Amino acid sequence: MARFIIRSIISTIITMLLVSISLFLLIEVGSGDITVKILGVFSTPEQRASYAAQLGLDAPAWQRYIDWLIGNDWRAKNKVGYPLVTSINPQTGEADWWADVDGQLTRWTLEEGRLLTLKRQDDGSTTSHISSGAWQIDEEGREYFWGVDVKNNAVMWVRGAGAEVWALTKAGLRKEGDGPMKYIPLRKGLLRGDPGISLQYGRPVAVTLVSRIRNTLVLAGAAFVIIMPLALFFGILAGINEGKPLDRIISITSLGFTATPEFVTGIFLILIFGVWLKVLPAVAIFTSADAIFEDPKLIALPVLTLTAVELGYIARMTRASMVEVMDSAYIRTAIIKGMPISRVVFKHAIRNALMAPITIIMLHVNWLVGGLVVVEVIFGYPGLGYYIYKSAIFGDFNAVEAAAMVTVAIAIITRLFGDLAYTLLNPRIRYS
Amino acid sequence: MTELKKTPPVLKLEDVAVAYKVRGGEIEAVQNVSFEINRGETHGIVGESGCGKSTVAWAVLNFLGANGYVKRGSIKFQGQELVGVTGEELRRLRGDQIAMVYQDPMQALNPSMRLGDQMSEVLTVHRGMEQKEAEKRCIEMLERVYMPDAANVMKRYPHQISGGQQQRVVIAMALLNNPALLIMDEPTTALDVTVEAAVLDLIAELRRDFDTAIMYITHNLGVVARVSTRVGVMYAGEMVERATVEQIYKNPYHPYTQGLIRCVPKLGADKAKSVLYPIRGRVPPPDNRPVGCVYGPRCDYIQERCREERPRLRQMPNGAIVRCHFAEEIDASQWTPSEDIMPPSVEVKDVVSDPIISVKGLKKYYEVQGSSLRDVIGLGEKRYVKAVENASFEIFKGKTLGVVGESGCGKSTLIKTIIGLEDSTSGEAKFLGFDITDDISKRDESLIQELQMVFQNPDSTMNPSYTVGQQIGRPMQRFKTTPKDEIRGEVVKLLDAMRLGENYYDRLPRQLSGGEKQRVGIARALASHPDLVLCDEPVSALDVSVQAAILNLLLEVQQKFDTTLIFIAHDLSVVRFFSDHVAVMYLGQIMEIGPAEAIYTPPYHPYSEALLSAVPIPDPTAVQKHIRLKGNVPSAINPPSGCRFHTRCPRRELLPDGGKVCELEIPPWRDAAEGHRIFCHLPLETLRTFDPVITQPTEGS
Amino acid sequence: MAVKTITQPTSRPSRLQKIWKSMSIIFESRVATVGMSMVLFWVILAFISLFWTPHDPNASDFIQNQGPSIQNWLGTDHLGRDLLSRLMQGTQVILLKTRLPGDAGISIPGGVAIWGVIGSLTLGSVLGLNAGYRGGWWDQIIMQVLDALIAFPRIVLYLVVIAALGQGDLVVILAITITGAPGVARLARSLAMDIKTRDYIRAAETRGENVWYIMFREILPNARGPLLVDGMLRVGYAIFAIGTLGFLGIGLPPPDPDWGNMVNEARRNIFSNQLAVMWPALAIASLVIGLNLFADGLREEMTRYQK
Repeated sequence: MARFIIRSIISTIITMLLVSISLFLLIEVGSGDITVKILGVFSTPEQRASYAAQLGLDAPAWQRYIDWLIGNDWRAKNKVGYPLVTSINPQTGEADWWADVDGQLTRWTLEEGRLLTLKRQDDGSTTSHISSGAWQIDEEGREYFWGVDVKNNAVMWVRGAGAEVWALTKAGLRKEGDGPMKYIPLRKGLLRGDPGISLQYGRPVAVTLVSRIRNTLVLAGAAFVIIMPLALFFGILAGINEGKPLDRIISITSLGFTATPEFVTGIFLILIFGVWLKVLPAVAIFTSADAIFEDPKLIALPVLTLTAVELGYIARMTRASMVEVMDSAYIRTAIIKGMPISRVVFKHAIRNALMAPITIIMLHVNWLVGGLVVVEVIFGYPGLGYYIYKSAIFGDFNAVEAAAMVTVAIAIITRLFGDLAYTLLNPRIRYS
Repeated sequence: MTELKKTPPVLKLEDVAVAYKVRGGEIEAVQNVSFEINRGETHGIVGESGCGKSTVAWAVLNFLGANGYVKRGSIKFQGQELVGVTGEELRRLRGDQIAMVYQDPMQALNPSMRLGDQMSEVLTVHRGMEQKEAEKRCIEMLERVYMPDAANVMKRYPHQISGGQQQRVVIAMALLNNPALLIMDEPTTALDVTVEAAVLDLIAELRRDFDTAIMYITHNLGVVARVSTRVGVMYAGEMVERATVEQIYKNPYHPYTQGLIRCVPKLGADKAKSVLYPIRGRVPPPDNRPVGCVYGPRCDYIQERCREERPRLRQMPNGAIVRCHFAEEIDASQWTPSEDIMPPSVEVKDVVSDPIISVKGLKKYYEVQGSSLRDVIGLGEKRYVKAVENASFEIFKGKTLGVVGESGCGKSTLIKTIIGLEDSTSGEAKFLGFDITDDISKRDESLIQELQMVFQNPDSTMNPSYTVGQQIGRPMQRFKTTPKDEIRGEVVKLLDAMRLGENYYDRLPRQLSGGEKQRVGIARALASHPDLVLCDEPVSALDVSVQAAILNLLLEVQQKFDTTLIFIAHDLSVVRFFSDHVAVMYLGQIMEIGPAEAIYTPPYHPYSEALLSAVPIPDPTAVQKHIRLKGNVPSAINPPSGCRFHTRCPRRELLPDGGKVCELEIPPWRDAAEGHRIFCHLPLETLRTFDPVITQPTEGS
Repeated sequence: MAVKTITQPTSRPSRLQKIWKSMSIIFESRVATVGMSMVLFWVILAFISLFWTPHDPNASDFIQNQGPSIQNWLGTDHLGRDLLSRLMQGTQVILLKTRLPGDAGISIPGGVAIWGVIGSLTLGSVLGLNAGYRGGWWDQIIMQVLDALIAFPRIVLYLVVIAALGQGDLVVILAITITGAPGVARLARSLAMDIKTRDYIRAAETRGENVWYIMFREILPNARGPLLVDGMLRVGYAIFAIGTLGFLGIGLPPPDPDWGNMVNEARRNIFSNQLAVMWPALAIASLVIGLNLFADGLREEMTRYQK
């Protein structure tokens, strides 16, 4: 038992690591030039290269993977020479990076060749001073300085050679002088809860992700709560009536629903309940962040769609398992012992019949996530699936990677729960 | 006896036929079966597989599945008609008045319910007993079947106890309501011989004490001889003969019964006498039975009448009931085997050369992983299953070494190591002077070709996707022993030697019977002309009549090709019949090795003695010593110190201090005679004083 | 020479008989027969569409959003195209042809769903046989990698692969192959683990056969049945997945109509024209149900046969 759990956990960790590497590589290989998407097709190669450097894309892939996974502030710290910390900006509500210079949060900026030190005051405002004597000299005799800039990068300025950089502002691309030569876009990394900045929205991914995850969990949870008991009930009912009309009706209905894609079920449910009967909202428009809790009707159709598709599959699995168990020698024993049929089913069969579906259901969670994407797209439901879909289409790799890792984590954790549930049901594993 | 006659029999079947509906018709699996069982009587039903024995049992319980039903006849249980009884009435009978014990206890017990719950529900449901009281009774019953630590067993799950104990639980469960009729379907077939013996003792004892009527189904003539009072012989869905157990064995009327008895090896008789005569042909499938006598096509005495008219059951002067037209005229003692089943004549050759294979101190350990955290991450202490410990033997060309032992004794590992499916842990093994301690990947092709193997299970010995010809031809092709264009001719020659014709060349395995598959398996092993063939229980999965044919065939092949054989089996009678030398193994250790005759007569190793006394002998008149081993076979991960057998040895007490030395010291090899060695602390003088285990009554036959 | 003259005539009829026998298994099961008819219906329609469709599937020749009429049996879509013709043409990319990238417009036989499943069967079998037969570290490593793949929600994998590699028939095939392979591998592994305990594998080992020979000549032929049945189910999943991708607008590229995309386009006009959604939906569902029934029936018959 202990061994089993330890193995599962070790395997989970390795799996997550493998997934993160393959996900990173896949996006690395294929995502093409993201700067084209952000800057538009009319941008010049020079502009793209400059912007890519600002995103840290000029670093080698392994370096970016490590940065992505565990952050890079510890690496940048050695360059800057001070501890790097984050502090919430009261205006945006997002975290900003600062160097901790003897207890004073500090950033720097280069203006017209002069290095300014920005010190943060307790009220959140900053004061600037001209910084002198901070420049260091490298082997080639250039004067350089590593510091934290106002855009949350660790950067290297070179005195007198202020590079020209293309900055992306709300008004479009703007050429700026006094730019740094090197960028390290500071981040804490996925493992420390910071998956980076969304390229599509320009805001930290973590901020948007949280509410999306919550919405999706509510949707999936509601569907799960409805599907499980119904599917097991119908599956068992069909299983003990193998070959009889009731079994045929349940089996054919479940097959029919399973074979109908979510997007079709969803559309027809909208047509029936949203358009013809007008009892349920056809789209899930969130007026506030807590809209689902204020108006549960919003998720009625998405949940119904998911239920229609998943119910049949799980019911079929349960049926198959039940049929197999009812055919086994120990059920024969129970019948020959003269046990009433209800006792045979409830005391002898169900527990054994549930073992197979439970592992399958838990493996099936990633199917459910697939269904979620489609359902969320149909109903415009602001959940994780919709987010992944839009980010993937855009090529927003920070967002896709983070969101995909969340779905993978959900899949793996449910599988772990499935393994545990199986262990609890199966005394052969529990006592060995 | 007279009192018994007055009460109606517990079970009375009259002219019962059971049919199964299949696509496009109906198959009568069982026809015209009639018999009765009285209180306190064990009625054996014996026959080969596919003869409808189990179907009769299921018919009594009316558990024939969705497509089976009793087509004709009546089944009366204590005077009450059972045919047509369904629903609640049937449920009340099952498990209360009629109980059943099955072949495989592991399958029959619910894996996810505690044994106590499975047992007590029989009482709570049928008798409405309180849970507490029911449990108390269950514990009593478990103790009654000699289950050690009964109260604790109640809390366990089936997989946590051994096979023998599981069968005790099933038997205890069946007896809880003191049923009038107990049906046992091959209850000991899945068990080892010493465990089987103990369970059979228990059954006999319970029958006496509970005065239950038992219907005992088995294919094993030895078992049936030991447990039953009356025996019914079934063949192809019919009961062909029914008589008391003594009459069946001493004076069988039906040619099938006679044939069956002729084809089992007998442990009691001396080796020269025990010649096996197989029955030719095979049991016809239920949808293709002959018109006249079902046994006709295989019968030596067939007449025109047998082909046309189905014989009726007739009573013989001595009370036996036989289904044969000519039962009175057939004299079994005048029988002579026909050409096709004539056993090979064995000529004894003198040993001239060096041994072909010699093994010295061979060990095979498997590493096992523990379940603690330290073990998982690889820091735990390494533990080993000591599957084979210090095995030493040699075999001369053209001779056979038989290896016997119960499951888990290491006999299979031993031959796997020799053939190279596993490498050995240490020790020496030489074959024709070449080292064979490594596994097969490190052996030379010409060496691989010289060692081949015959397998146990006919259903898995052949690859279902290839024809007979392809499979026999493959070794020739691989070892290039035969030029490509001559392979077919060679294969056909081999098929002829196996008494299979050329028309088998293009057949697929599913078109063959079990015995035919086994013949092909032997042909495949011989295809590369090996010097040594290892046979892993080649006949244990076959019906007795086929078993005899395969054993004879192997002997014949050995004569013809001068092949050396290692023959492993759990059946002591088969090994005796077949081998020149025998090694007895227990828990990885060879306990006794020597010429076959010597193993079966004193001096014995105490384990060999116990094994011999456990073997069911197909002769109700033979007298066998009663020695039963206590407890379970210990784990091979941590085998007992000193002598591995000391935890169960019934003879330990003969040593001073109750055999303290057996726990402390590894026993010495004692040379009893030329080539006969015994691994025991008991001095030879003591071992020699043991009586023979099996004694024949003086009259003989 | 003598050998050859004997083998030829005997092996010929046996092969024909073999095919006939495996065909007769289908007809013994009513479920399989119904399933096969449903699948055959679409296959035949696909072949017909190669030579003839009632109208040009991509030409807006008719009034938009019309119901069924003599001219347009199934009606027209929002651009005035004939729905029946589009539905028929839509079977081709799934079942019959795969368009290679490039401007030449070359297609190879075998639809995207078919090639995708062949890909996952091949990749999955190789991995599963190695894991199952060799066991030990092979098994650990292969299964660990496959577990990682399985943990990936399929649709996310599709999205990422397609976002990464762009749209195209070959990309969809790749996506189906990658997502299907772990499932096939699990099945192949469990079959190999079962089959490797058989004595005939022991016999091959005692002949010193090479591992690849044992895996592909001794084990695979006996695992073929269940793998093929599984493959059939997978064709259904693949069609389902292609539909979903089409619906999300990242499926098979034009000009060939794609059922999923047809649903996506038609849903904007669902108020006026429900049939335009209904037909492709029915097409996907019936093909998937057909394949499911076919596979179920075959599996049932095969186990019956083995008993």
